[in-house]
Amino acid sequence: MGVVTRAVRNISRRKIRALLVIIALGFCMAIMISIPSGVIANQESTEALSQNLSSTITQTEASINQTLTQIECNLSPSMEGFGFAPPDSGSSGFSPSQSGSSSFTPGQFGGGTRPGGFGGGSFSVGGTTPMNESLYSGISSIDGVAAVAPILQVSEGQNQTITAPNGRTFTRLVPDYVIEGVPLTSDLVENYPILPSNITAGRNLQAGDSGVVLLSENNTAFFGVGVGDTVTILDQEFTVIGVHGSSGVSDTTTLYMNLSDAQSLTNNTGYITTLYVFANDSSIVTDVANAISSLHPELTVTTAQQRLAQLQALQSSYKTALENAEASISQTQAIALEEIIVVVAATSLIVLFVMLYTVRERTKEIGTLKAIGFSNWTVMSQFMIEGVLISLIAGVVGIAIATVAAPMLSSLLLPTVNTFGSTFAGRNSISGATSNLATVTVDPQLMLMAFGAAVLLGALGTLYPAWRAAKIRPAEAMKYE
Amino acid sequence: MSKPVLKTEKLTKSYMLGKRSIPALSNLNLQVNAGEFVAIMGPSGSGKTTLLNILGCIDKPTSGQVLLDGVDVAALPESELYKIRRNKIGFVFQTFNLLPYLNARENVELPMEGKIKSKSERRRKASELLRMVGLSGREEHRPQKLSAGEQQRVAIARALANDPAIILADEPTGNLDARNKREIVGLLADLNVNQGTTIVMVTHDSHVAAHTERLLFLNDGKITKEKQGLHLAKKKAECS
Ligand SMILES: Nc1ncnc2c1ncn2[C@@H]1O[C@H](COP(=O)(O)OP(=O)(O)OP(=O)(O)O)[C@@H](O)[C@H]1O
Ligand SMILES: [Mg+2]
Repeated sequence: MGVVTRAVRNISRRKIRALLVIIALGFCMAIMISIPSGVIANQESTEALSQNLSSTITQTEASINQTLTQIECNLSPSMEGFGFAPPDSGSSGFSPSQSGSSSFTPGQFGGGTRPGGFGGGSFSVGGTTPMNESLYSGISSIDGVAAVAPILQVSEGQNQTITAPNGRTFTRLVPDYVIEGVPLTSDLVENYPILPSNITAGRNLQAGDSGVVLLSENNTAFFGVGVGDTVTILDQEFTVIGVHGSSGVSDTTTLYMNLSDAQSLTNNTGYITTLYVFANDSSIVTDVANAISSLHPELTVTTAQQRLAQLQALQSSYKTALENAEASISQTQAIALEEIIVVVAATSLIVLFVMLYTVRERTKEIGTLKAIGFSNWTVMSQFMIEGVLISLIAGVVGIAIATVAAPMLSSLLLPTVNTFGSTFAGRNSISGATSNLATVTVDPQLMLMAFGAAVLLGALGTLYPAWRAAKIRPAEAMKYE
Repeated sequence: MSKPVLKTEKLTKSYMLGKRSIPALSNLNLQVNAGEFVAIMGPSGSGKTTLLNILGCIDKPTSGQVLLDGVDVAALPESELYKIRRNKIGFVFQTFNLLPYLNARENVELPMEGKIKSKSERRRKASELLRMVGLSGREEHRPQKLSAGEQQRVAIARALANDPAIILADEPTGNLDARNKREIVGLLADLNVNQGTTIVMVTHDSHVAAHTERLLFLNDGKITKEKQGLHLAKKKAECS
């Protein structure tokens, strides 16, 4: 019959009271665990966000530097059909492709228009409106133009019919892959960044290549092929010459091939979607762009400098987002600290009052123990053990509550990390970075710490009541109630 | 012939109530010899409990000496007193004062905890004491399962746990009916006769007091009268 057994018996003596106290303390403990868990989760999501942001910025900057002399010319969507022969002539322009799923039908060309070709901080060939290549031969003779690279980009995929709530139906292309035809002349291939730069398998396209494709890693999975294999694209066979990883200038679903291969493959001989114009020097890029615009007002002309400005704007938004997140984190930490202090105080106060009450209630019992020869020390340790035991049990209950309810408790008690100000509301261009929903998990180390806190706070709260118990006069045992 | 177990000299106790001093005992001289069964009687407020508390080292005298087994306990600090209480004194209370969450045997074991290291030895001794007070087979029962008389028996067994020099009982029959009164005082008398236990018992009841050997009458903190007990004195006289 040791002190611990007696403590257990005493606690179980008044079951309902013990249960209530343990639940109350358990919730305190759960809060104590949940708050740091929430703060850690917030910090982790902010770290992930900042990593995401900085890698996006670096990536974009790299591609910008590489293409500082580059001008991208696309046909404005409103100019669609520019240069097309009247439909009845039937000799040129866009005839329906052989397969229904091919995307060269007006209105379902590509995956939607993206002026400026901006998405996710990386560049891709943005034009999707077909242009008659022959109409733009004049650009190469503009002063300061070093080279012109005509590009054809065609998205292939499945048409999906969507019925809007008002009953109208839309057809939308869900792209499986994007064919990009690139002019494989030695001048362009060797001197200008028209091909992806990071080759992960095989080799890059070379001047004069034909009948071969450079697939993205996504494409190899989609077609189920590897380097050296034959891949059938739109009923035509190609040899896989290499695989590129996604980089700043390439899309993850884009496959590259010779421009003329692409044109004949997609039934678009003579047509392109983008013109890359390279200026002699980055200082005259604006002049060249203006000259192109005045020669072809129907074109959307985008220079790297303009992109740079866009990038810088975006970059500053990124930075604001990051600052917001960090400010939010420190604000959260301050609130968390306050709440922890309150909970710690509440826990030890609950223990204090409960134990004080117990001591008062058991005055006669304590007096008896002292009268029959218990030392002050034994009486005191008896109560200390009882108090610590209660909070230990509460600690277990608290951990149990926390493992289930930590996300809920921390979201109730902590402000959500606001990483994006109102300027970013609804904008999902930084996909993957907007992880506001931090995943709160309770790690074992935190549980151990909560256990330690339970013991410590239990001991702290019981110290005074136990001392009071030790001071009870043994003569109390003689009182006849 | 027999040596004094308990001796007070000019024992004085007054309680302070605010600025007022309330005298409870004044210059009380008392001697209890080994193997004696003494009853203390007196009107309410005469100082019986006060005297017993001081004899039992749970209260301190204002002045005077208390010699317990030859030791002046009035001068001892608490760090020594609890050992005296544990080793030399056995208390029996009017309200039994058993711990409700412990069974009979565990209650009896309580005082042994600081003294007897072996758990099995404590168990064995507690069972033996319970047998001695007539509670064999009731070891595992908690106090609420026992009658008042049985509870007081457990309390007596507990008082005997550490083989004390003296048993101090404050109205041990005060909460019992007539039959149980007789049984408990009979048990105490038996212990006194058979085991030689020294007992000082406070009682209001002259029938109960009649079972003892010597009666002391307390009035206003002084012993005013002394009498021989009827049955026990006779019994002892016959024996010797
Ligand atoms: N703790 C105390 N503080 C103040 N006065 C006390 C205290 N305890 C006892 N007294 C007083 O001391 C006197 C003696 O009290 P005591 O309890 O010893 O009497 P008693 O003979 O045991 O009475 P009863 O037969 O009612 O139990 C009484 O006047 C009482 O009021
Ligand atoms: Mg009294």
